[in-house]
Amino acid sequence: MATRHVTIDPITRLEGHGKIDIFLDEQGDVADAFLQIPELRGFERFCVGRVAEDMPNLTSRICGVCPEAHHMASTKALDALFHVDPPPTAKKLREMFYCIFYATDHTTHFYALGGPDFVMGPDAPKEERNILGVIKKVGMEIGGKVIKMRADGHNLIKMIGGRAVHPNWGLPGGVSRGITEEQRCEIERLGREAIEFAKFSLQLFNQIVLGNRDYVKLVTSDAFTHRTYNMGTVDANNRVNFYDGMIRVVGPDGREHAKYHARDYRDYIAEHVEPWSYLKFPFLKKIGWKGFVDGEDSGLYKATPLSRLNAADGMATPLAQQEYERMYDALGGKPVNHTLATHWARLVELLYATERWVELATDPEITGDQYRVLPTQTPDEGVGCVEAPRGTLTHHYWTDGRGVLTKVNLIVGTTNNYAPINLSVKKAAQSLIRKGKIITEGLLNQVEMAFRAYDPCFGCATHYLPGQMPLTVIIRGPDGQVLRTIERR
Amino acid sequence: MVGQQFEPRTIEAPPRRAKILVLGLGNPLLGDDSVGLRVAQQVQAQLADRPEVEVAEDYWGGLRLMERLAGFERVIIVDAICSGGQPGTVRILSPDDMPTRHSASAHDADLRTALALGRQMGAGLPPNHDVHVVAIEAVDVWTFTEECTPAVKAGIENAVQTVLTLLAEWR
Repeated sequence: MATRHVTIDPITRLEGHGKIDIFLDEQGDVADAFLQIPELRGFERFCVGRVAEDMPNLTSRICGVCPEAHHMASTKALDALFHVDPPPTAKKLREMFYCIFYATDHTTHFYALGGPDFVMGPDAPKEERNILGVIKKVGMEIGGKVIKMRADGHNLIKMIGGRAVHPNWGLPGGVSRGITEEQRCEIERLGREAIEFAKFSLQLFNQIVLGNRDYVKLVTSDAFTHRTYNMGTVDANNRVNFYDGMIRVVGPDGREHAKYHARDYRDYIAEHVEPWSYLKFPFLKKIGWKGFVDGEDSGLYKATPLSRLNAADGMATPLAQQEYERMYDALGGKPVNHTLATHWARLVELLYATERWVELATDPEITGDQYRVLPTQTPDEGVGCVEAPRGTLTHHYWTDGRGVLTKVNLIVGTTNNYAPINLSVKKAAQSLIRKGKIITEGLLNQVEMAFRAYDPCFGCATHYLPGQMPLTVIIRGPDGQVLRTIERR
Repeated sequence: MVGQQFEPRTIEAPPRRAKILVLGLGNPLLGDDSVGLRVAQQVQAQLADRPEVEVAEDYWGGLRLMERLAGFERVIIVDAICSGGQPGTVRILSPDDMPTRHSASAHDADLRTALALGRQMGAGLPPNHDVHVVAIEAVDVWTFTEECTPAVKAGIENAVQTVLTLLAEWR
């Protein structure tokens, strides 16, 4: 089953949308699949020479979907850079704000993304596999609940963070303002409503998805299963935490591989380079890069909602913990290596985010007036990590003594998943291309489902209008010659 | 409180004086992707007193964009486009011209889908024929820089005039 080595000129991938090259071997089976995605370029060059304190505002513009995540990671990097520890009120405010953002983000992405794949079913016509189809199927009332969750979340983020979407709030040593008791009441009230909404969403998922044997079969199918390492942030009790904690990595069998402080990430993660892509592929240093394969001996790891649940020992709030246990019971125990279960994990996290939101909103220190300490030390280097909805997000800044940036390194949530995404795409393709026979429509759907489960950030800081279809699949023979091109119409 | 019910909402548009929205979309840090924002800024500067027109900037697509349009009778969106055309050229498109109803982003609704959803939810959205997309052909939307490429920069004035002409027709 030889394949000739083919080099794809990376310049040809500059189309601004996902392109998948599938290489067949001489038997017509899938030998390899590579997802080439657009890459935002020159960020480090852009940052060098700017003041580090601008970064929470600058980096929040990298991602059009989770600016709050970049804002938070950046703010924490500034804490570390200036060697300053924020007071408890500041940390609690930040975490509460972050949970509100999570609840809003996970809601949107379940209903606009996972919902279309699950609620409509993988064989539904493509015109219906979107949020419109979901609302049509589950009812207008649910559409209203989704809209309300979004509206409440956005309004609270604006209220606390000072500005809609791009918060104007994080500072080294704390935040720029606290909240009043009146604001706190509103936050608590809407948080309790959000808990009900999260419970409701899980109920819906249970009815529609788990109640259907075909879905369960799909979720647990081999085409969507990989045994990789999993990464997430955990608190002192090894429970999932989005805002802060230690980074924990567990193996495909669930055993702990590493647990480390964010600042030591380079002792654990290295980056592999492939000739056909500008992307770098992070992997676990101590295991090593073994190619696009899974298993205990491959340094590939995932950082997704499912990974976070796998990497933790449980959820820190009671209702979410119940759902955590229910999920693992249903799927055969920990860890779960079925990529599509990520959508389920996202809902468990949604519930945790809402419970934690209310916990913090009812904390006696949340309205405190000590929400910032001023830095006094000279800045030099700092790392800030949070869990972005899409995976562990790392900001690393180096500055001169004035706080002017000399170097920047960012590992965004999706970057952690570049290699596993390729693996998922390959596996999905393998089940639909056999002996040269291609099931065309199923292929596009299945391949998209495979990478959409990761909720990937494909340069979504750009929202320019695509003039062409968002996804192209090119099937090549063993010589690299193009056999077929499939595009979404 | 366990069991507390909540009222689902439809999209509420805030009460507005302005009936027409000119919305520049873009990312100020990503080169040609900032062109929509620049056009909006210049429209604002050149627009004579028209209290019924609101000129604004925004940074999203999909659902957030749809929510932003609620409450207006007519909308002009200004944005970069990558469709392989001559850089800097300006076209007027409609949401019905957008190539696909499927998610154009990996995790959001495309504009057409978002608009359809909004209408279903009772948002006061203009009909598609009153949503005009002034699209400027871009060269590079992937490199971090605060400057547009020269060809796109040269197209800004044309785009501004296109918007102002549309607005003049709607007096």
